[in-house]
Amino acid sequence: MSKALVSLVTTLGDDELVLGHRHSEWTGYAPHMEEDVAFSSIAQDEIGHAAAYYSIAAGVTGGSADALAFGRDPGEYRNAILCERPNGDWAFTLARHWLYDNADDVRLAALEESSHSDLAALAHKIRREERYHLIHANTWVRRIVRGPVEGRTKLVDAVSEAYVEALGLFEPIEEEAAAVSEGLLPVPSAELMARFVERMAATLDELGMPTEAQRTTDQAAQFEASSSGDLIESDGSGLVAPPTAPAVAIGGRTGRHTDAFKELWDVMTVTYRSHPGASW
Amino acid sequence: MSTSLGTVEERVWDALAEVLDPEIPAVSVVDMGMIREVSVAGGVASVVVLPTFTGCPAIPIIERDVSAAVAAVEGVSEVRVTTSFSPPWTDDRITGDGRRKLKEFGLAPPTGKGPVLITEIGLPAVARCPFCGSADTRAENSFGPTPCRALYYCTACRNPFEQFKPV
Repeated sequence: MSKALVSLVTTLGDDELVLGHRHSEWTGYAPHMEEDVAFSSIAQDEIGHAAAYYSIAAGVTGGSADALAFGRDPGEYRNAILCERPNGDWAFTLARHWLYDNADDVRLAALEESSHSDLAALAHKIRREERYHLIHANTWVRRIVRGPVEGRTKLVDAVSEAYVEALGLFEPIEEEAAAVSEGLLPVPSAELMARFVERMAATLDELGMPTEAQRTTDQAAQFEASSSGDLIESDGSGLVAPPTAPAVAIGGRTGRHTDAFKELWDVMTVTYRSHPGASW
Repeated sequence: MSTSLGTVEERVWDALAEVLDPEIPAVSVVDMGMIREVSVAGGVASVVVLPTFTGCPAIPIIERDVSAAVAAVEGVSEVRVTTSFSPPWTDDRITGDGRRKLKEFGLAPPTGKGPVLITEIGLPAVARCPFCGSADTRAENSFGPTPCRALYYCTACRNPFEQFKPV
């Protein structure tokens, strides 16, 4: 039980920490003041959620949340590739925020029924808070899609790019079989992905982006085929180019990350590595 | 320092009523409904704290302050502070006193109904201005300087203000 639990909460924490770090990179740089505040606050939420997930893991292993967040080698992180991609422009940032928070909502809804009572309670609490993230992302997407053609075109392109990688959030976690059979993860990743695809396809259709819904279904089919046993194991150093075919960024759940993650990791962990054991 | 009146458990509650929220020092952790339970057995006091928001950076400070305050209570030899998310802290846990103090501090109390989508930019139910009491206010941002605060503007008295976010 412990191994599956640690894998599950570490994976959840890694997604939140890494995406939270990316969001925090907008502090001081967002296109306007209110969004600067919004992304800074969302970043703080996500990193706080990561700390709570890591605390569950630390309770099992005897380590600390800080050590899990900042004291591991890059190849030991289990976040999906989507979370580590550079922010790029505002369109990609928004597309990723929208896809991630909807995917996270699907995942959290399932985790509210986890057999691990602390994890179930935490998922329930986090889901209540994340409604603000969903409202924020959904509102911006609707506003831009219904707005002038330039912004709309940029957003549609960004969603096309990010959507494929969002499926990587549902790459099976390590110890998935045990996590599912013990009820820690009450719904298998493949089923979560199906729910996500269904939810987003409807929204994309509503938004006038039916091509994406179709494309996503195709990608999902490819992903299921590729996730059946062709995953390349992490070699420990872990930093390789993302897979190009099928066009779904998988590998994050086994510690394979992009060069961009190494750069993010260098920045994110520099204080922890420079001052071992410091408290603040 | 607590007096010797009442049971040890009552004195622990009295001590907790003096522990202020580090980010909103007008209210105590009891006003905010953050104390789920207190139990004392054989001099060991156990306190369960419900954080308002999971990502609140003040959680470790609150744990430390709670621990110190309870340790000073007569009849307590050991303190155990636990943070829990069960049940989730919800804004209806804030006491009437707490709501009044938030308002006096310049922070609109939450609505007690959780986030409700009612405006174009998706902000929760409109807050009353804590300064002039007007309901003629405009939500500016559902995010603010801390995870628990949203930004508003009062059209009546032309003051920006913040609301403790419903959750």
